[in-house]
Amino acid sequence: MIRCNVLAYVLRRIVGMVPTLFIIVTLSFFIIRLAPGSPFSSERNLPPSVIANLEKKVHLDEPLPLQYLRYLGDVLRGDLGYSTKHVDFTINEFIARALPVSMTLGALALVLALSVGITVGVVSALKRNSLMDHSLMALAILGISVPMFVIGPLLQLLFSVHLGWLPTAGWLSSRAGGLTLILPVLTLAVTDFAYIARLTRTSVLEVLRSDYIRTARAKGLSQRAIIWKHTLRGAMLPVVSFLGPAFANIVTGSVVVESIFDIPGMGRFFVNSALNRDYFMIMATVIVYAVILVIANLIADLVYAALDPRVVYE
Amino acid sequence: MTPPTQDTAVAGKSLSRKAIDRFLKNKMAVIGMVVVVLYALVAILAPVLPLYGYEEQVLDHQYLPPSLTQTGGELLLAKKTSEFESLARSQNRPLSAEELAQLKALKHTIANDPKHQRRYLLGTDYLGRDMLSRIIYGGQISMVLGLVGALTSILIGLLVGSIAGYFGGRLDAFLMRSVDILYSLPYMLLVIIFMAVFGKNILNLVFALAGVSWLTEARVVRGLVMSLKNSEFIEAARSIGASPFRILFRHILPNALNVVIVFTTLRIPTFILMEAFLSFLGLGVSAPMASWGSLIQDAVGGMTLYPWRLMFPALAMVIFLFSMNFFGDGLREAFDPHSEKSI
Repeated sequence: MIRCNVLAYVLRRIVGMVPTLFIIVTLSFFIIRLAPGSPFSSERNLPPSVIANLEKKVHLDEPLPLQYLRYLGDVLRGDLGYSTKHVDFTINEFIARALPVSMTLGALALVLALSVGITVGVVSALKRNSLMDHSLMALAILGISVPMFVIGPLLQLLFSVHLGWLPTAGWLSSRAGGLTLILPVLTLAVTDFAYIARLTRTSVLEVLRSDYIRTARAKGLSQRAIIWKHTLRGAMLPVVSFLGPAFANIVTGSVVVESIFDIPGMGRFFVNSALNRDYFMIMATVIVYAVILVIANLIADLVYAALDPRVVYE
Repeated sequence: MTPPTQDTAVAGKSLSRKAIDRFLKNKMAVIGMVVVVLYALVAILAPVLPLYGYEEQVLDHQYLPPSLTQTGGELLLAKKTSEFESLARSQNRPLSAEELAQLKALKHTIANDPKHQRRYLLGTDYLGRDMLSRIIYGGQISMVLGLVGALTSILIGLLVGSIAGYFGGRLDAFLMRSVDILYSLPYMLLVIIFMAVFGKNILNLVFALAGVSWLTEARVVRGLVMSLKNSEFIEAARSIGASPFRILFRHILPNALNVVIVFTTLRIPTFILMEAFLSFLGLGVSAPMASWGSLIQDAVGGMTLYPWRLMFPALAMVIFLFSMNFFGDGLREAFDPHSEKSI
């Protein structure tokens, strides 16, 4: 019965994703198209007739609504089109190559941020108002205050240039292998770590004051059982609902981190594609990110429901 | 929630007074506030401070390191001398007559040209511009953008949130559903696209940032309005026939003001960070204007050779954001009605 409800809920949520994705595709399509310029306007020395031919090839000569419908159709068929800058591969091929890279980076950063952030938050809450608590929370505020594009170069300066311990840039396939992961993952994790640590601390403190913890204490449960069995489960709820924004932070951050550390992921080409009016490339990146984000939000909601017995799948 | 606060003038036990007392007890928050006020003073007084123009270029003075004691000319001479010396050393010879003559000529120009008397406390950049001045004027831009951005987004948030909260029903459901959808968007990516295709200028920047960041504000305001709208004094206003808009703007929103002010403070760092993020990607303010983000972006390329160009703007920005966050946190804790329980 319950499983049936969960299934129905997931299905309904998947249907619910459609308008979100539709809005994203529509918004980004029209933001790009309503601006002046074309993908070919920056090519030098191209006679107008050649530009016209190029534009015809990717249907830019058609009226905008028609192009929009055509694009929607293509996307629904799973064809993301061609980049107007990088002509030697289709966008689908590009994503097949770049997405796993970005996913690895993002997943590692998220896991790091969650594990360290929750630990720090719980420790801080349990040792409330101690020196440890104050310094950990100052660290968290520092993490929120120092942007990734400052942390990244500073880490490079320290660990690669001065100490020479870690490679400055590159990705797994290069000679340095796994070591290339450390600095980018660290950089990407900092902001989310800081938010999660603060959130965890607040919510652990809140749960510790609640009636059911008092009941657990009154029953004579050990401190350990109270923390592990009763407090953490409830205290994790706000953290789980933060997963969506946390994921969005990582997606946005990857644009910066991938260019600082020269990582061949999706984010590194994002800004240039936008500047070059690489219409299909930019659309494809946004769509892929949006799909991932929406799925991540769904997973977060399911985890939330699994943790919180009060949630009913209406 | 907070009852009307006309009695703030009465010393002692008004809620605002209590909140201020609570705030003052929080040392880190007070230190944060002092630092923020100092920053604001420097930014406001920048035009009358003895600073070089932030766009003034002295091409001879490229990449000079920071120095408290030496003038730009002395640093330039030292730099040239050590260049010649290391060249001579690598060729195993003493300084040639020509090099010595060049150095002498340089010394002469330095002594006679007033521009070589300039002092660069924080060094210079690739066009020989004074970093101190650029950091201060850059900070001015960053702070103003942070404030304007936060104010704009709180205004939009107030409008949407109070309408949704007060009128409820279908309108509320529609507005909040839209907020939910927008909330799950990778909206910074949309901002990046917007800035990239519409060109970078300050107006676009504020418009784009405020356009995507009123969501949290709308939720908070809606919650406040919903909890206030059923209170007795609103009931009283309604019973004497006040119009919904009068009730909303004259009775409900003034009571939400504390929270709104606190929230704006908390949002300023976010805006400064977003602007810096865009500037770092080359999509923020355009030259010769600077912001902390664009200064950092300028510096990253040559950071191994000229680390001061990265360190100082980064430090200026981080110290400000750090203080601002402590200040905002302190305000929130002090004004949050729940905090009486938590402390």
